[in-house]
Amino acid sequence: MKTKLFRKGDIAVILVILVAAAAFRLYQTKQSDKLEAVITVDGKTVETIDLSAVESKRVIELDTAPKVVIAVEKGAIYFEEAECDDKLCINCGKLSRKGDTAVCLPAKTVVTVSGSDVDVMTY
Amino acid sequence: MGGDGVLKKIGAIFAAVAAVAIVAFFVWDGVFNKTASKEFFAMDTVISVKITGKDADKCVAEIEKCVAELDSILTRHKTTSEISIINKNSGGNLSDKTAEYFRLLLDVSKKSGGAFDFTLGAVSDLWGFGKNPVVPEVAEIQKLLSECGYNKVTLSGNELTVGGGIIDFGAVGKGIALDEIRSILENAKVKEAVISVGGSVLLYGEKEASVGIRDPYGNAGRSIATLSLADTCISTSGSYERCFEENGKTYHHIIDPKTGFPVENELISVTVISQNGAISDALSTACFVLGVEKGAALAKEFGCEAVFITKDKRVYATDGAAPKLEITDTSYTLI
Repeated sequence: MKTKLFRKGDIAVILVILVAAAAFRLYQTKQSDKLEAVITVDGKTVETIDLSAVESKRVIELDTAPKVVIAVEKGAIYFEEAECDDKLCINCGKLSRKGDTAVCLPAKTVVTVSGSDVDVMTY
Repeated sequence: MGGDGVLKKIGAIFAAVAAVAIVAFFVWDGVFNKTASKEFFAMDTVISVKITGKDADKCVAEIEKCVAELDSILTRHKTTSEISIINKNSGGNLSDKTAEYFRLLLDVSKKSGGAFDFTLGAVSDLWGFGKNPVVPEVAEIQKLLSECGYNKVTLSGNELTVGGGIIDFGAVGKGIALDEIRSILENAKVKEAVISVGGSVLLYGEKEASVGIRDPYGNAGRSIATLSLADTCISTSGSYERCFEENGKTYHHIIDPKTGFPVENELISVTVISQNGAISDALSTACFVLGVEKGAALAKEFGCEAVFITKDKRVYATDGAAPKLEITDTSYTLI
């Protein structure tokens, strides 16, 4: 009796794996295209927002000391209000490109648009 | 057993070997190439660490502790810090580590002809950068300048004497932190690490990383050029940081020790690459004060490389930095 290298079941499994790999690759590409903002307070992520999916402007009031208010709109995120002295966070303006970042040191709050092209920034 | 049977047997062995290799790869990768990341606040700035290696988690915890301790030594805003006690007593007997910092900073001060001066704390306070900034009276600045100066500081063994001025490690604290962090990594099982202490960077390990040089006119996360480097420290001084406007004129925080006023030259930022974090920090300030030509000569004297960016978007790189540099913003020109 001649033994086949692959049976029908094997081929089906291989096909399923190939389709799953292609779907995963597609998902990864979609993910990397996504404009995603991350808000952290004292190193802990408090919210992740898909900026491309934002329909209308909304504000996020953070319970930090000093208090900060972050505004989110389609394709952008920014510090709208801050009770800190220097307002450097507000002066950073709207963050709309991958890698954009704004920090409020007194409130220990960082807003970053994920997906920078570089490993680290010097400034 | 026919040819097909042999084929199946070979296939089964191959599959088994592959399965073991895959499992080993994941176990090896998970244990020995574990990556730990953390972002935290200390030294009045934001610190990010990303470490790969068996001891990654342990190192992150040690780094946090180390930076907090360093902050309590170097700050002059806490009365109990070593620097505050030195300022109060106009010197003192230093710990070996602090004496080493002073020796290094005195060397940079001397070789830069005073373009770097760590005794200008009182002048900096007068400007009130970051708090209540104001343009001081010229007479006030001149009075304070006459009282301070690195050349009034002497270090004999560990015995420090400060002849005037207020010692301020603000321009080098982040770089010193990088050096201390490197010691932690060297004493642990770590493959590679990327550390940023408020924009002063330590790259640890052989793997090359891309370091973005901040767009002086744009968001802090945007770069105009990248440096591909490994196993080194990178510091940048830029006139876009901590600046304020009064009567239509912008004043930035990099003070020229000769005038007591913010440096006025063609530069908008200087990036220095050095094996030593404290030196890269101190030199980035000194090179900014000195300008392109003299700054490049000073960097060379210390065996460092530098990238200078001018207000009109020209980029100058030292011979060793140029091959590692890629301009990514076409409005900037490499000279």
